[in-house]
Amino acid sequence: MSGTKRGSRNLLEDVLKAGLCTGCGACVTGCPYMAIHEGRIVVLDRCTIEDGDCWRHCPRTPTDVSGFSEKTQGVPFDFLEPGAIIAVEMVRSVDAAVREKGQDGGVVTALLAFALDEGMIDSVVCSKKDAGGAPHGFVARTARELLECAGSSYEAAFTLEAFRKIPAGNADRLAVVGVGCQMEALAKMKAAAPVNGGNPQNVQLTVGLFCGWALRSDIFRPLLEEICDTSRIVKFDIPHSPGTSFDVYTKDAGKISIPLDDIRPAINPACQYCWDMTAEFADISAGSAGSSFHGWNTVITRTPRGAGLMKRAVAAGIIEIQPLPESRMTKLKASALNRKKNALRNLARKSGTREDLGYISGLPAGLVDALLKD
Amino acid sequence: MADIAIDNPGGVVLLMGNEAIARGAIEAGIGVAAAYPGSPTSEIIPTIAAVAGKRKIHVEWSSNEKVATEVAAAASLAGIRSFAVMKQNGLNVASDFIVNLNMTGIGSAGMVIFVADDPGGMTSSNEQDSREVAKWFDNPLLEAQNAQEAKEMVTWGFELSEKVNLPVFLRGVTRLCYTRGNVALGKLPSGGEKKAFFPEIWDMYNPAKSRFTAGPSQVAHKNLHEKLKKARALFEDSPFNSYAGPENPELLIISSGVCTSYSLEAIEELDVADRVGALKLGTVWPMPEKLIEKRLLSTQKVLFVEETDPFIERSVMEFAAGRLPEMGGLAFYGKRSGHLAPFNEQSADLVIAALADILNIPLAPRDPGYRKKAEEAMALVPARPINMCAGCPHRATFWAVKNAIARDGRNGFVCGDIGCYSMAFAAPGFYQARTMHAMGSGIGMANGFGSLGDYGFDQPVLAVSGDSTFYHAALPALVNGIYNQSNFTLLILDNSATAMTGFQPHPGTGMLATGAPAPIVDMEGLCRSLGAEVRVCDPFDLEETTDAILAMMQKKSGARVIIMRHICQLLKAKRKIPGECKMRVDDEKCLGDSCGCDQLCTRIFGCPGLMWDGAAKKAVIDEAICVGCGLCADICPAGAIIREEARP
Amino acid sequence: MADLSKEPFNLIVAGVGGQGNVLLSAFIGMALVREGFTASVSDTFGVSQRGGSVTSHIRISRGVACSSLVLEGQADVILGMEPVETLRALGEFGNRAVITIVNPRPMQPTGGVSYPDLDEVRQAIIKLSARTMFVNATEEALEMGDPIYTNVILLGALAGADVLPVGREAMVEVLKARFPGALYDVNLSAFKKGEELIRDAAGIFS
Repeated sequence: MSGTKRGSRNLLEDVLKAGLCTGCGACVTGCPYMAIHEGRIVVLDRCTIEDGDCWRHCPRTPTDVSGFSEKTQGVPFDFLEPGAIIAVEMVRSVDAAVREKGQDGGVVTALLAFALDEGMIDSVVCSKKDAGGAPHGFVARTARELLECAGSSYEAAFTLEAFRKIPAGNADRLAVVGVGCQMEALAKMKAAAPVNGGNPQNVQLTVGLFCGWALRSDIFRPLLEEICDTSRIVKFDIPHSPGTSFDVYTKDAGKISIPLDDIRPAINPACQYCWDMTAEFADISAGSAGSSFHGWNTVITRTPRGAGLMKRAVAAGIIEIQPLPESRMTKLKASALNRKKNALRNLARKSGTREDLGYISGLPAGLVDALLKD
Repeated sequence: MADIAIDNPGGVVLLMGNEAIARGAIEAGIGVAAAYPGSPTSEIIPTIAAVAGKRKIHVEWSSNEKVATEVAAAASLAGIRSFAVMKQNGLNVASDFIVNLNMTGIGSAGMVIFVADDPGGMTSSNEQDSREVAKWFDNPLLEAQNAQEAKEMVTWGFELSEKVNLPVFLRGVTRLCYTRGNVALGKLPSGGEKKAFFPEIWDMYNPAKSRFTAGPSQVAHKNLHEKLKKARALFEDSPFNSYAGPENPELLIISSGVCTSYSLEAIEELDVADRVGALKLGTVWPMPEKLIEKRLLSTQKVLFVEETDPFIERSVMEFAAGRLPEMGGLAFYGKRSGHLAPFNEQSADLVIAALADILNIPLAPRDPGYRKKAEEAMALVPARPINMCAGCPHRATFWAVKNAIARDGRNGFVCGDIGCYSMAFAAPGFYQARTMHAMGSGIGMANGFGSLGDYGFDQPVLAVSGDSTFYHAALPALVNGIYNQSNFTLLILDNSATAMTGFQPHPGTGMLATGAPAPIVDMEGLCRSLGAEVRVCDPFDLEETTDAILAMMQKKSGARVIIMRHICQLLKAKRKIPGECKMRVDDEKCLGDSCGCDQLCTRIFGCPGLMWDGAAKKAVIDEAICVGCGLCADICPAGAIIREEARP
Repeated sequence: MADLSKEPFNLIVAGVGGQGNVLLSAFIGMALVREGFTASVSDTFGVSQRGGSVTSHIRISRGVACSSLVLEGQADVILGMEPVETLRALGEFGNRAVITIVNPRPMQPTGGVSYPDLDEVRQAIIKLSARTMFVNATEEALEMGDPIYTNVILLGALAGADVLPVGREAMVEVLKARFPGALYDVNLSAFKKGEELIRDAAGIFS
């Protein structure tokens, strides 16, 4: 961490107005000066604190990624690899109902429900869709509540808002589910706990979600409203094949396919500056990239804590595992690295120089040059 | 003042200038008094209203000053003495009628218009000199030095008005209106029923134009100038003008109004009564030229002391320019010379400085040692910024407005208006009002902004108007907005009173100026009938109010009105309605100035009932000020401000 | 009829908008007129009448009325309803002979403006006054159940201090004329409380 001390004024100028906000939700709660409104973070008034948690925990404020990784993950950071890896496998929930409700193999829901059941954790900070399908941060305390949260929303979910709302002093052991930027924010909170609200020391498990990009609610929602009754939406999916359509499953009309290109204008432009496709700071990361088998997730087990949970879940018959074919592994690594290259390229373009990569610092100059060569 | 209509001729009482003016009008036997509230004149109508029944006076708060003047003029036309009252801005509103009334002249009964200027703009958005209007419109104008003279001038003003057949202006300033002084009471009229009758009725066998239809202008304007000549002649030996000092003074001060007192005090303070003469002008326009001429010829130097414009200064210099052979050698001092300023209030101290400079009297600071100590101590004294009262509903409204605009994120803004909520241009209303001009101008300008869509204008436009302002001048602009399909949202801040000027009733309150019941002109129904979409919110429900504002400002078309309804806290206190709760700060929970708070309640929200304890670094409730509205409990992010219990 | 030690005699009442010094000053003026003096009572507002500084100028003479405003450095007595406002008034109207009566309870400015160290303010007031008397009027009023009595307690203190040419009887008459029935009784006891407090407040001489 580069140790800059800044406050909400800087967050407004250097992150929000600069178009870097990914909507992780880390800055919002516990601060009366900021709010979430229609998928955006808005600053309501002037705060004069020059050393604020909003700045300290934002995943888009300057971060010495190498040093930070070492400090929070306990392993040296290799920018060329998709994070720390104990195992990469294809995994799915044994329970078909969970697979149906969840994304691909339903692994995230299954693992977390198991962790709740076996008592590893007391509650899960995740996101839940409201009646209109828009995601909000949510704390699930039972497997049943968890199942209601299953499935990707493809929108920025401000999950960490719910985390920050947990009162200081609450002793619940927590799991937190989120995409890369959220895992980074959470890691930053673990390194320096918030002054009020949110108890990072109670986080026992972090489950990362692979993320290509998130959609901006203010553009995506009206788009959806045009094609269906949003309160009847069951699920979204981008099927691997052909990979060019965005499918909306509704209770009334079944599947409605929208060309992916029609959705692209709703992609949060801030996502182009994100380097972390596989949520590298999590205990376990899951997604579909790399897996071409329908109904299975690709899961990266990153920490001993994550490995332990995987092992117990398999033993309990909750999940089943297949090895990931070598070719898929290569493809996964390539797309993760490609994301990093794109992020660096876009950041360099934004600043006008490779010397200034915005929020990313601590990378060897040679490495950056090498990555940006092609 | 217990009874302004006490019948005790010669008795001396302490009266505020405004009360003395009311008494003067009562002594003059007025039958009608009309006004719209405006500081510094607001106490006149209530003072008359308190005895209106007993004295058989029709007294009213009119919906605006033009209407008030028309109401008064009609009484004059029907043979009843009438009195219209307004502040400088109100004169601007009434102007179009007055300039036409001057063309026809008034009826058989006198009509006096009291207009008060506000040098220094203590209770106004602007500063202007209404004497210029009298000159411009050709009205006789008197200006009083103190409460006693103001009372006398009102009474004499009616006689003058009847003699010259014109409305007569009495001009005051804030310092006259709000200074209390000894007033010797005059006789009250004996009553005696007077029948109102309008004589210009249609005679079918001799049909002719009524003299109360303005025009033809060239004739009417000529007549008007004849009337002014008559007034000038009456002014030449008026007792309201006086001279004190040596027959041939080294310097002549010409002053009017409260400036005469400052001038006399300055002469005494500098001990120059043998060198300086003081000519006081009570009849300011048209100028008594013979009197002026006599005094100008007796001296070499002239200093003009007046508020605000160099009105007498210019008029006298203009006069002297026509007598160059005799007056060419005169030296003039005042605002043109820079000895006094053509803005703000004057004072004896300022006149002393001017006199000392002109007369070359060394002016050492009194007691330099003490002065130095005092100046050092002043480093301790902080500014005391303006604020809305504790528990003011406007604070709640602008809090919601601020958050709605920020959430909306499209650079929305508020067009401000005139009232307590004018303070929204500064910290008390979170700087939300981005324009602020005249009564009703907020919504008028919102009309304009909201019509710029063709030029790519896409900022949401909000206008605010108080309840009283709504009836005064916002209504025509709302009609315009609906007709011309302008895109804006009007917030009517309905606190059940004309609060800024002292809680006068208005057409929405169900009460007359006298306190008697009146029909309510229902603003909600009125707006709906015009075709506006109307919502009513209690601004103390912050969440609902913010959502309502957001929803309204995000609509693309159609006139939208939100009525923010919550009674003024001062009015509530006057009516002895207790506060909702007793407030307390939980020290354990208060985050103070740390992250997650940064003194939101005292630094931004800024209710005077909340104090910042610098030593403890916590907020505290000032129980001497807090009215127990409970709103701060809703804005505290830590839940540290607690509504304790319902007050007994 | 009491005599004037000086003509005009200048009293300044300094406070904050909403504290009620306008009414308090009017009471004093009415009492003066009752006693046959010529009084001029005028208020100046700092930035605004709401929450801003308010200074009332009470000028006492025989015969001709004075102008509305006390000249620089010419206050004879300053009645301060609030410490910082008292000091502000001393800065403009104070002199070596001025007698100051102060309600020491601070009114915090709003809008993020911080209040100076109260003890420093007290010391500065004492230094700039010939004699200073502190009267805990607000505290007493709160004890009586309503801060509204602060004014009348201060009026009682002013009467009890015996620094004005007008005596207690005229002030009590004004209260009687102003407050009907039971309201008079409670205001009279507030007035007496003020007289009591000023008796106990040994003047601090600089």
